[in-house]
Amino acid sequence: MSGLSSQFWHSVNGRMLRAAWARPQFKVALVFLIALIALAVLLPMLSSVSATTISVRDRFAPPVLWEGGTASHLFGTDQLGRDLLLRSLIGLRNALVIGVVSVFGMFVLGALIGIISGYRGGIVDTVLMRITDAQMSIPVIILAITILGVSRPTPFSVILVLILAGWPTYARVIRSVTLTESRKEFVRAAKIIGAGPLRIMFRHIAPNILPPVAFIAVLDVARMMIFEAIFGFIGIGIQPPVPTFGNILADGTKYLINAWWITVVPGLFLFAALISLNLIGSALESARNDVLGGRNQ
Amino acid sequence: MAFVLTFLLRRLSQGIVIVLLVGFVIFSLLRIVPGDPVRIMVGPMATEEQVEQIAEELGLRDPLPVQFGRYLSDLARGDLGNSFIKATSGASVAGGRDDGSAARAQVLDLIVAAIPFSALLAGLGVLLALIFSIPLGIAAGLYPNGWIGRATFAISSVFVSLPNIWLGILLILIISVQLGWLPAIGYKGVAYAVLPAIVLAVELSAVIVRALASSVAATMQENFVQAGIVRGLTMRHMITHHVLRNSAIPMLNLFGAQLGGLLLGSLFVVEYIFNYPGLGLLTVNAVFQRDFPVIQGVAILTTAVLVLINILVDLISAGIDRRLQY
Repeated sequence: MSGLSSQFWHSVNGRMLRAAWARPQFKVALVFLIALIALAVLLPMLSSVSATTISVRDRFAPPVLWEGGTASHLFGTDQLGRDLLLRSLIGLRNALVIGVVSVFGMFVLGALIGIISGYRGGIVDTVLMRITDAQMSIPVIILAITILGVSRPTPFSVILVLILAGWPTYARVIRSVTLTESRKEFVRAAKIIGAGPLRIMFRHIAPNILPPVAFIAVLDVARMMIFEAIFGFIGIGIQPPVPTFGNILADGTKYLINAWWITVVPGLFLFAALISLNLIGSALESARNDVLGGRNQ
Repeated sequence: MAFVLTFLLRRLSQGIVIVLLVGFVIFSLLRIVPGDPVRIMVGPMATEEQVEQIAEELGLRDPLPVQFGRYLSDLARGDLGNSFIKATSGASVAGGRDDGSAARAQVLDLIVAAIPFSALLAGLGVLLALIFSIPLGIAAGLYPNGWIGRATFAISSVFVSLPNIWLGILLILIISVQLGWLPAIGYKGVAYAVLPAIVLAVELSAVIVRALASSVAATMQENFVQAGIVRGLTMRHMITHHVLRNSAIPMLNLFGAQLGGLLLGSLFVVEYIFNYPGLGLLTVNAVFQRDFPVIQGVAILTTAVLVLINILVDLISAGIDRRLQY
């Protein structure tokens, strides 16, 4: 093992990852999720038809195991004859991208505010935390439908709304980590050597903020995917013809009685992705407890 | 008692600032986004002059701070303004002629009319969630590594991974369409609230069960539990009198900060799925119709409710545990 990587495995982040890997649910869920993502990336590339190919002759084909189903559309087709497997996979891909990018955004914003707030303290801390409190009192869904509903929703604005709604959790947790870390020996030592506040904040404190928020971030990716589906369902998410879980489900409700699979199939794919993310997240949470010892912090 | 009073005063004044801030943000957002509500009100046939005239009458062309100030002074008198779209009769007056603001419904009336429906749904959802989660959460907390603990973990993992829109549609498909046991769309009696309440309960239970289990499990590790047993108290007595009481505080905080928002959010979505005539459906429709006064009213009201819940929760936890003095 090279010097750098062995250093990583002994750092707090490396120890947390090893503790998570030791849990079977983490391994199983991770492998399953990676397989699902690979399928979502590869199949639409390899397939001869696209997810938006309309074929009136093939419409309302049930999944292959039901009467009238065909092998060319394993999971059936929708009201326009579009392949549901492909549409679900592309919906999954879009939801994952939105989820990951928005969680990354709220993490960066929250880390910035949390570290500055916790390290500087005083009036800066008071003002930033009041803003965080205020933001936390606004229900996400009201904020979202107001912003997205009255403007023209794009992937970018969906991500922006999610970041706006989600950053306060990260700011709070990271602030409290910064508070405890900045009282520790090594930070005092760095100060004595003459390190500036920026260097201390981002070189010494920042690497320690991951364990307490890593599991929140993974669980939040799942939550944001649900929000993305909700937005699409209400009609304020990414707009058709781009397939998203939300707009496929919204289509499906119109044909619920005669073509149940239009609603059931995409939901199954979303559910599969969400449960693997949630299992990974809760394994990381237990791993954090193992590494940091104790439940709170 | 003096402590309670200063606490209340401080938190209430902070709360008012938060509500005002939220009000102003939503207010400004609604006015800077594209889409002229007056155009929707008067319909496509009206001339540009008519649009301007009505906008002028409604005060929509004044500077933003002036508009907000006027809104606040009305708000202080309990007046949330009139809907742009909805008539007092309940019908939509959009796109037709303007018959003066008298015909347009008061936002306050619209909200007051919707609240009982939402309250019934939310109450039923919370009740179902508690009936399900409390026994399961406590059992899982007492035996975290036994079969009940594992089963509870599995159930809450499944629950938290079920998107509420999908679950709602599945319930309509199976319970309502296939089996015909319960009605689903609209509201013509309490039975119409059951399916949406189940969706709410599943979402809430996922969070409550896991939090309760880990809270009980952590309390069981505390020294006082062993001490109580050594001093001759039964395990049953320790659990019912000491463990549950100590586990209640994290639960209360959860109810305030997290569940308030979660409940409100899913209420909106669930009402939309089931076309259930509460606050959520009112708001979603208002957004589509650019009915600004209704959106503002609901946003301010719900934020105020969330702030109040948080203050109440802090008060109650201080009442249970005297060490927590804010």
